Amino acid sequence: MISLTHYLVLSGVLFALGFYGVLVRRSAILILIAVELMLAAVSINFVAFASYLDAKLFTGVIFAIFVITIAAAEVGLALGIVLRIYRERSTANVDEASTLKW
Amino acid sequence: MNLDYSLLVPEFLLALAGVVVLLADTFRGELKSGRQLLPWLTVFGAALYGATGAAAGSMTSEFAGIFAVDAFTAFFRVLFAVTLVVVVVGSHEYVSKNIRHQGEFYTMLLFATVGASFMAGARELLTAYVGIELLSFSLYVAVSLAKSDSRSGEAGLKYVLLGGLASATLLYGLSLVYGAGGSTSYVEIAKNLEHVEGLRMPLVLGLVMVIAGVGFKASAVPFHMWTPDAYEGAPLPVTAILSATSKAAAFALILRLFSGPFLPVIGEWRTTIAILSLSTMVVGNLIALQQTNIKRLLAYSSIAQVGYMLMAVVTMSDVSASALLLHMGGYLVTNLAVFMGVIAFYNHSNTEEISGLHGLAETNPFLAMVLAAGLLSLSGMPLLAGFTTKFILFQAAASGGYLWLVTLAVIMSTISLFYYLKVIRQMYVVLPDGSQLPYATEPSVRQERWSMSPSSTLVVSVLFLGIVVVGLYVAPLAVAADNAARALFKA
Amino acid sequence: MPLPAQLDRAIVTGSLTAGAIGLPYILVVSVLGIMGRINGAEVVWWLLAGLILVGAIGSVTSNNVVHAALSLVVAAMGIAGMFVLLASEFLALVQVLVYGGGVAILLLFALMMTNASDDPIVVDGSQKPFGFGVALVMGVVLVSAMVGASWNATITTVVSFRDIGTRLYRDYGVPFEVASLVLLVALIGAIAIARRDTEESDAA
Repeated sequence: MISLTHYLVLSGVLFALGFYGVLVRRSAILILIAVELMLAAVSINFVAFASYLDAKLFTGVIFAIFVITIAAAEVGLALGIVLRIYRERSTANVDEASTLKW
Repeated sequence: MNLDYSLLVPEFLLALAGVVVLLADTFRGELKSGRQLLPWLTVFGAALYGATGAAAGSMTSEFAGIFAVDAFTAFFRVLFAVTLVVVVVGSHEYVSKNIRHQGEFYTMLLFATVGASFMAGARELLTAYVGIELLSFSLYVAVSLAKSDSRSGEAGLKYVLLGGLASATLLYGLSLVYGAGGSTSYVEIAKNLEHVEGLRMPLVLGLVMVIAGVGFKASAVPFHMWTPDAYEGAPLPVTAILSATSKAAAFALILRLFSGPFLPVIGEWRTTIAILSLSTMVVGNLIALQQTNIKRLLAYSSIAQVGYMLMAVVTMSDVSASALLLHMGGYLVTNLAVFMGVIAFYNHSNTEEISGLHGLAETNPFLAMVLAAGLLSLSGMPLLAGFTTKFILFQAAASGGYLWLVTLAVIMSTISLFYYLKVIRQMYVVLPDGSQLPYATEPSVRQERWSMSPSSTLVVSVLFLGIVVVGLYVAPLAVAADNAARALFKA
Repeated sequence: MPLPAQLDRAIVTGSLTAGAIGLPYILVVSVLGIMGRINGAEVVWWLLAGLILVGAIGSVTSNNVVHAALSLVVAAMGIAGMFVLLASEFLALVQVLVYGGGVAILLLFALMMTNASDDPIVVDGSQKPFGFGVALVMGVVLVSAMVGASWNATITTVVSFRDIGTRLYRDYGVPFEVASLVLLVALIGAIAIARRDTEESDAA
């Protein structure tokens, strides 16, 4: 029997992994990938809750659809900004975060 | 289910205005209108939004259980509309000089306001989340649209990455709240959270993550890292919007969440928010002391203000919610006055360093007076808006039993006077040629006087009047805030 | 044609690691399944969980940006499988289309336009141990909170496409429209920001 806890633990681990990525990565694209991982963990959570606790209204499934959509839009927008910075600095490296102080 | 779309007319009008601006920009050749039309279209849309929003102020209705139309929503609709009108009128000269893609820029401001409106009216987590993202996305773009300023893109990138992190954290928190509360509707969550045996840990974790997420949007310490850089890198009007609309919307959401669905578990989050409030006002004020760039100074000063406002969340009740709304109104008027003054100054001098303001009292006494009044009001000088509203806010927090927090806030307000006075000193004590008053009473070179453009003069004068009027006669704003707070707790 | 040395090494070490960890894992799970200790759905769950974790770890540790992006796709596909197990086929479909089709292509395009070669670049900051510690604490807190909770869970039923449509377009019609504005903003924003300044100056 796969329990709700299975999914929640998996998503917790994924979220922590993504958080680790955001903390240690220094390239904008890699940080973005890590954020995507965190959002994927969120959608697992929503869908798991929806199917185990909210089977009648399944709001979590709808929520997950929005999360996936907006996460994809965020990638597009963030990459647009990355491209602009790359063009301005003309560096061969998107690792520009080192010039920002966090 | 009430699917009466006329309840959402203000937001539709605003979104429509955004699309119209975009099209007017694209077809400006065919329309023979040029770009001068765009700001006025924006203002028109914002005014329509504000008017229709205010007209719906007396009703209490709910769209499909996801969006409340009541006095609270109306309060924020008017606030957002006024902010947008003021910012666009006060900065259209700045925009035409310093912004790439003006049509897109105004559209972003309009869409940001749509998102803010949905945050204020949402009665359900999904709607609130989508509103947050619309506001954030529009601001990510607006921040990065400065012409030939490499700080702009950098600020945009930092804002979008940290914003993504904050969204993910907020969402994880929301998912846990959804799991513990069994629904995304505020009413249902409030009902279900009254008995949450066995789910205390996930719930507390969810609350902490939600607080971190909205704390980021409101720039509360320690989630404020993006604020100074985004404020500095963004074009000035966007900085104004970040410190006004974005902050007000974050607090609207915080009020909706913590007065409704999270109220049954107030014991679980009260201390967290108190600590957040404490650290925010201390760090904001102390770091503001060292700033030399006026935008960065205002960034830290706005962080400090968030600390004061969070006190009212700690002592959540209709009294403190009303005090918070009142202070939000006073803060917005004051803050916009300062920002519009700085924009008018920047149009003339192209500098945003504090030291660049020297001798302003000599070259443009009116602007210097408005800036001084705004800064003193931010620090909480009597007779000005900032004092009255802050006094009521502190009183509400003190009567809520958090005297130690209020004491600290008073001390911090006193410290804040120091860095505001530093700016005022540049304007009044240092002369245009850089010498200081006691040493050169007879200035060697009298600098030319300059005056602001008509639209800047208009906006700045109106806001100056606003500061004084709210400071002396606070009743109308207080009544509106009271009605809004009561609607909040009735819902 | 000799392969570039670096790619060569990546393939060899990659497949060796995958083999060393993956094969025993798959073996153990399938043996448990055959012995009847866990049922079929659970076998699939554990295999998918392994796949997701491998993808996730790869995407946050790989020093090669392309590998990281592809690892993210692996994790996303595993998650799509999870959605099927959770009886949300529609969401699984969306996940495959959006991540496999959209996000992956976007990421790889951005990589091509910014850094054409797939040379490893300096990626990780100096605060690696600190970051690891913080993330570890966060993971432990999250997992222990989930294990400690007692959910009032019931059996899953399949959510039909039809019901999703009703919920999405009727009950959540307005958030859906707002989300379309979000997409519009992202679209306009990406174009306006990434477009070169020179086109703008003479158009005014």
